[in-house]
Amino acid sequence: MDNSNSFENIFKKLGDLKDFFVYGQKLIPILHKILDFMHDTVPLLENVNRSIQDSTSKIPKAAMQINSITNANEIATTEILDIVDGMSMDIANMQTKLESLKNKLGEDEELNAVISTIEKINAGMLNITISLQVQDITSQQLSSVNHLIQSIQEKLAALLIEFKDKEISELPAAEYHFPKDSTFNADARYDKSNSSQKLADSLVEETLNKATQSEIDKLFKKL
Amino acid sequence: MKKVILVADDSPTIRKFVSVALSLKGYEIVVCADGMEAIEILPIKKVDLVITDLNMPNVDGYELISSIRKNNEYSDIPIIVLSSLGNTEDIQRGLECGANSYLVKPFDPKRVIYEVSKYLN
Repeated sequence: MDNSNSFENIFKKLGDLKDFFVYGQKLIPILHKILDFMHDTVPLLENVNRSIQDSTSKIPKAAMQINSITNANEIATTEILDIVDGMSMDIANMQTKLESLKNKLGEDEELNAVISTIEKINAGMLNITISLQVQDITSQQLSSVNHLIQSIQEKLAALLIEFKDKEISELPAAEYHFPKDSTFNADARYDKSNSSQKLADSLVEETLNKATQSEIDKLFKKL
Repeated sequence: MKKVILVADDSPTIRKFVSVALSLKGYEIVVCADGMEAIEILPIKKVDLVITDLNMPNVDGYELISSIRKNNEYSDIPIIVLSSLGNTEDIQRGLECGANSYLVKPFDPKRVIYEVSKYLN
């Protein structure tokens, strides 16, 4: 009785073993596919890694270029403003002299024409100063782009560290230090429509009126 | 005696714009790059009016305005905000901090002169 039980167990085990081999045979093509996939994926991952490394090392150069554009624009704008400043002072002197000349000579058509032309030049100079403010708006937007670039670099660097145990500082050309204390308004717009100023004016008026009312109330309480 | 205007802005070009516009009108202009510098200048230089940006490093414009308003020695100084922030929340916050006027960039130099003369003349 015991012997027949033992045989039954052995046959059961052999059956399980057979099932295992059958299952193994079915598994072999799948394992082949996994190996093929890994074979294809590893070079792809290496490629991705190289691309990230390449992009990460190029980012500082892009940031530096943006920064140098901002600096060059700033220098040029300041130079133009210096010239405008000098010309404005000359024009103011000319206007004073022409006015005194007008007082001496009385009404003169040609003199009036010169005065009117100078006024037009003065108005033009004023417009130049308004238009030159585009530099400030542009520099704020470029700062915002640089900030974005910095975030991308940080993300890529984190990925790179996961791929390989490599620090971003070990990469060649990754020497650009992003300014930590730069401030910018990413929404800065060169908008001469005056709509924002109108909004500001209405809010100033509203707030000041409120203040005046509270002052009146305080005054009445005192009385 | 020339009236002294303190201009706080981290943009060198904006500092230059304001200086060019106002120095022609006979004001003495003192410039600084952030709110911290402005706070350091105020006790050592008598200032009649402050023009400030809002987005600045170290101490921003809001903090500068609040700090001026809290200090009894200069709490009455008129403050004009000159900023590219032109939405309702930013304007209201500037005014709540204690600004007297709010100008949005790009600004018209004539408007700056007008606002300054409103408080100083």
